[in-house]
Amino acid sequence: MGGGCLHDSYKGGALTEVMFYVLLATFTPRHGYAIMQFIEEKTGGRLELGAGTLYGAINTLAKKNWIEPCGEDQGRKKEYRVTELGRRIAEQELQRLRGLTQVAGEIIGGNTHE
Amino acid sequence: MSKKSYRFFGGLLQTQSNWLNKMAEKGHRLVRTGKMSYEFEDCEPGTYQYCIEFIAEKSQQSAQQYKQFLEDVGYKVFYKNINLNYSIGKVRYRPWAEKGGRIATNATTFNKELLIVEKRNDGKPFELHTSYEDRIAYTKTLRNPWLLMAALFLILAIVQKLWPMGIIAVLLFIPVLLYQRELAKLSKLAKTREW
Repeated sequence: MGGGCLHDSYKGGALTEVMFYVLLATFTPRHGYAIMQFIEEKTGGRLELGAGTLYGAINTLAKKNWIEPCGEDQGRKKEYRVTELGRRIAEQELQRLRGLTQVAGEIIGGNTHE
Repeated sequence: MSKKSYRFFGGLLQTQSNWLNKMAEKGHRLVRTGKMSYEFEDCEPGTYQYCIEFIAEKSQQSAQQYKQFLEDVGYKVFYKNINLNYSIGKVRYRPWAEKGGRIATNATTFNKELLIVEKRNDGKPFELHTSYEDRIAYTKTLRNPWLLMAALFLILAIVQKLWPMGIIAVLLFIPVLLYQRELAKLSKLAKTREW
């Protein structure tokens, strides 16, 4: 894991919500369907990922080395797990979002609501 | 009771999935596909939903991986041809395919340009692509083969001064324009929202 690579990602800015949720889902090793279920459950059905979109997101994250396939592959569904790099990216994103919700809270007022 | 129907939809992917969905509503579940034939078995009406996915731009390996992924998600998946071509030992170059073009042969991806994906009906619309970014990428893979063919016929028409080629080119630009309109709509939506 090169520092340069991390630095690039650090400057990369905001993640999309889909990417961030897929990343979060893999903090516990999960296969495709489990990732879909996780996201649907955590968002109360607000974010429902199509299988094709999820497939693209998984491939993108794996290519960036933010997640990796794990466990025995034979006859079982392929599971993915967040990498050390992915974990740091997720932490940075959390910081960014905290900053954002704080500003939004100050301006809109009170607790966040629709 | 099983049922066999003969249809050919070519590039009309939406028409094909609409037809399969209508069959499922009437209680016919797809069990086998041929070049032009579809075999069904009886099922409870409305139990299944269908979606067509264009995968001709993928290599054999990435097509198989994608099919496997969809099956792991719990869908039933069939390969389907998009054109009618019965030749053996077909080798065709697809310049519009991923990574600067792919070669399709009978043994690999030729006559397997589509996936028919079946899902158990859960009352929600069945869509494989949901985020705008992904829908834009997918719509481009649908547009590119038409764009290439249209451009080739146009060049042919101009170079050879053959006006029938020009007419074919104009006809081929119709799907290009339809996909282009869809892309413009999606890009506009993607400016402010992710999905």
